[in-house]
Amino acid sequence: MRSERISRIIVFIIAALIAVLFLFPFYICIVTAFKTPMETAQGVLALPSKLHWENFSKALEITNFSRSFLNSLITTTTSVVFIVICSSMCGYIIARNLKKFRYRLCETILLGAMMVPFQVIMIPVYKMLKLSNMMNTLPGLIILLVGTSIPYSTFLYIGFVKLVPRELEEAATIDGSGIYRTYWNIVFPLLKPITATVATLHVMWMWNEFNISLIVLQKEHVKTIPIQQFYFFGEYTTDLNLAFASACIAIIPILIFFIIAQKFLINGLMSGAVKG
Amino acid sequence: MNRRKNIKRSLLKFGFLVPAIFFFGVSMLIPFLLGIQVSFTSWDGISQKMNYIGLQNYSNIFSNSDILQPIRNTTYFAILITVFNNAFALGLALILNKKFAGNSKFRLIYFIPTCLSTVLACFVWKFLYREVFFQLFGINSLIGSMKTVIPGLVIISLWNGVAINMLIYLSALINVPKNLYDAAKVDGANVFQRFKNVTVPLIGPAFTTCVTLSLTYGLREFSVPMIATGGGPARSSETIAMYIYKHLFEYSKAGYGQAISIVFMVFLLIIGKTVSTIFRKREVEM
Repeated sequence: MRSERISRIIVFIIAALIAVLFLFPFYICIVTAFKTPMETAQGVLALPSKLHWENFSKALEITNFSRSFLNSLITTTTSVVFIVICSSMCGYIIARNLKKFRYRLCETILLGAMMVPFQVIMIPVYKMLKLSNMMNTLPGLIILLVGTSIPYSTFLYIGFVKLVPRELEEAATIDGSGIYRTYWNIVFPLLKPITATVATLHVMWMWNEFNISLIVLQKEHVKTIPIQQFYFFGEYTTDLNLAFASACIAIIPILIFFIIAQKFLINGLMSGAVKG
Repeated sequence: MNRRKNIKRSLLKFGFLVPAIFFFGVSMLIPFLLGIQVSFTSWDGISQKMNYIGLQNYSNIFSNSDILQPIRNTTYFAILITVFNNAFALGLALILNKKFAGNSKFRLIYFIPTCLSTVLACFVWKFLYREVFFQLFGINSLIGSMKTVIPGLVIISLWNGVAINMLIYLSALINVPKNLYDAAKVDGANVFQRFKNVTVPLIGPAFTTCVTLSLTYGLREFSVPMIATGGGPARSSETIAMYIYKHLFEYSKAGYGQAISIVFMVFLLIIGKTVSTIFRKREVEM
């Protein structure tokens, strides 16, 4: 029993050391955000002598933070709502009709689409957006984000629906409820666990999305936070303290969300990934 | 009468697919088909009309030595990320699978870097490489030199993404029946033998998922090198995905870029399929 306790202590120490390594960049990020360039040059590890809050107010102003925050918020919420509606309906009907050839075909197409790298559709998407005047618009971006997310999220729904018993739906149908009413009143509430996972995962992914946004959003007024920061960090490398202040501000919303929703995210990833 | 009812029912059912088909069609299916068409043209990415040049783009790929550098970089990156991501993810999962105080807190901490955007992760690490590591250890930035830039990018990518594979391995480890370990212990197997003969075979499905995923993600890598180095120094971190991007926005050779992307996709599908088949064969039933 004693060796058991020693091994536990050793594992704890290793785990703590790794945790320090994982968190070290955050420490640097926070202390630098509060320093002046002078202090940073003197020592990167040291704590700031005085908290320079003005870095934050300046960073908010220069990066036009409220605009890009609003863009990110609109894009993320709208696309996640559409992803959940579309892929839950699609996943449900595919999972319930897998015996039929055309629904199995749908499943196969979605599986194949999961393997297609974004670069294959990048150039044609750019062409389509230009032709349809959807370039530099949030609806254009949202349609693309939803469309490219559907294969994976539908796949997660199909796996979950297979495990949901059919009795309740059948009872509702016998009572004369139509197929859509049955779905929204009976089935959709039953899918809550997987909906929580899909929504949480996609809030994180859509909030941080870079590849598609970089192509669609090239004008100031539509830029989301990651795109805004990509250009900001490219231009303002001279004032690192400002850049770090802006990085800290950008981390806060997603970190708060993560701490609230981590249960769904971690459980969903742990149960869905291997089976799916 | 019955027949009409059946048709109505099928149509109603089909209605469930309509929203998904709309979004998926507009953003993946149509662009995919359009892309095949673009790859046969000399489109520059700007002009209104496109000239068909047949298979010339495809034959150019094989005569153009310019593409060798991105292929080398991408392969190197993908191999490093596959090996280290899976080694670290499994290591972390093994630690978290032990019972000790604060176990779930550590799981949370390891996951925090994953919720950051790649832009922020790259920015923070660029600073670490350039200033902090220099002041602490006196070494020059890893991503500033042609020799070390790819390992440098791999470190950023690991910090930003290792936790996902960690969770997949952890969920597989939790499901390994404890009595198998006890049985192996009774038979006199030591820690390493237990790991090799009990753990590894039983978490086979997790290996298949994680190795295939990290390999195909590594081969498609775009954002980390794009943000951290822009492909430099001297193209030493330019990946295939970036190479295609540059053909649209910098070199004005969208048609050629599109042809590369299609060849690239075929390769990816073959590699992904082969790797997952190899790993699947080694899986054992529980």
